[in-house]
Amino acid sequence: MKDLHAMNFLVVDDFSTMRRIVRGLLKEMGLNNVDEAEDGAAALTKLRHQRFDFVISDINMPNMNGFELLKAIKADPALAYLPVLMVTAEARKEDIILAAQSGAAGYIVKPFTKATLEDKLNKILAKLSQPA
Amino acid sequence: MNMHEWTAAPAASPEVFQRLGTITRQLHDTLSQLGLMPRLQNSVDGLTDARSRLSYIARKTGEAADKVLTAVELAKQEQGKITLATREIGVALAGPVSTEAVQALVAAVDDANRRVGVHLTDIMMAQDFHDLTGQVVGKVVALAIDLEDSLVKLLVQAAPQESFAEPPPSGLNGPVVDPSKRSDVVSSQGEVDDLLASLGF
Repeated sequence: MKDLHAMNFLVVDDFSTMRRIVRGLLKEMGLNNVDEAEDGAAALTKLRHQRFDFVISDINMPNMNGFELLKAIKADPALAYLPVLMVTAEARKEDIILAAQSGAAGYIVKPFTKATLEDKLNKILAKLSQPA
Repeated sequence: MNMHEWTAAPAASPEVFQRLGTITRQLHDTLSQLGLMPRLQNSVDGLTDARSRLSYIARKTGEAADKVLTAVELAKQEQGKITLATREIGVALAGPVSTEAVQALVAAVDDANRRVGVHLTDIMMAQDFHDLTGQVVGKVVALAIDLEDSLVKLLVQAAPQESFAEPPPSGLNGPVVDPSKRSDVVSSQGEVDDLLASLGF
């Protein structure tokens, strides 16, 4: 498994408050390589110009929502390797299923705790390190 | 009438304007007869007010969140200084040490502690948005209830039966206010995990 502390994270949310909270939580976990994007379109631009290892994305955003971003990442051979963790207030079962079917690595509903975020990150990374 | 018929209608025909005038007059007369016009007018006037109230809530909550996050970041920096200074005191006390050196470290801890106290007070004060926005939310809810009541009465009295159709499903919904009244949503992270596990994810 790649060293968690050396990984580059991209946090995507249209609310700067939530981006700060996620960044703060990651920092408390010792993860300091964190960049931010305010919507799916801005995230995609960053992802195509800079190497990231992990995306944490909201769903309900203007310009390009989290589902569209997830599908764009998985449809792009240069980006498809990226694990995408959805962190969202969308709590409908059909949204959760759609996210999983579209290739999301995990799904967290807001409001969430640091423990939940840490747990999901570790589980996703452990799964990625398993041989296919 | 569907959208296609709307766009196909001759835009500048005098007949269209005549019909529109008739419909408007009928609507006005019906509303007046039902006694709904003054109430509906009040509600519609209130909508502009509601928009500004909702903007106010968004602004106040955003400001409060920013204020709290800034205070937490600053307090954490002070906390780091306290940790460092106490470690230094511990190391100093293990060997020969001057009273002045220990006093200087203690003073540094004291200063940092005081600044943490200021940040904590700022965090406490930032919560005032809850009281303010709570009151505003109450007013907007009252307006929405009033408007809904007027519109439902109008619909029941004026609309033909066949026009009561199911509303189209909406897109993304945002936070669920009361999950106990819904079977199509999850109410905890545990339910999310169970749902995904049941599907093999």
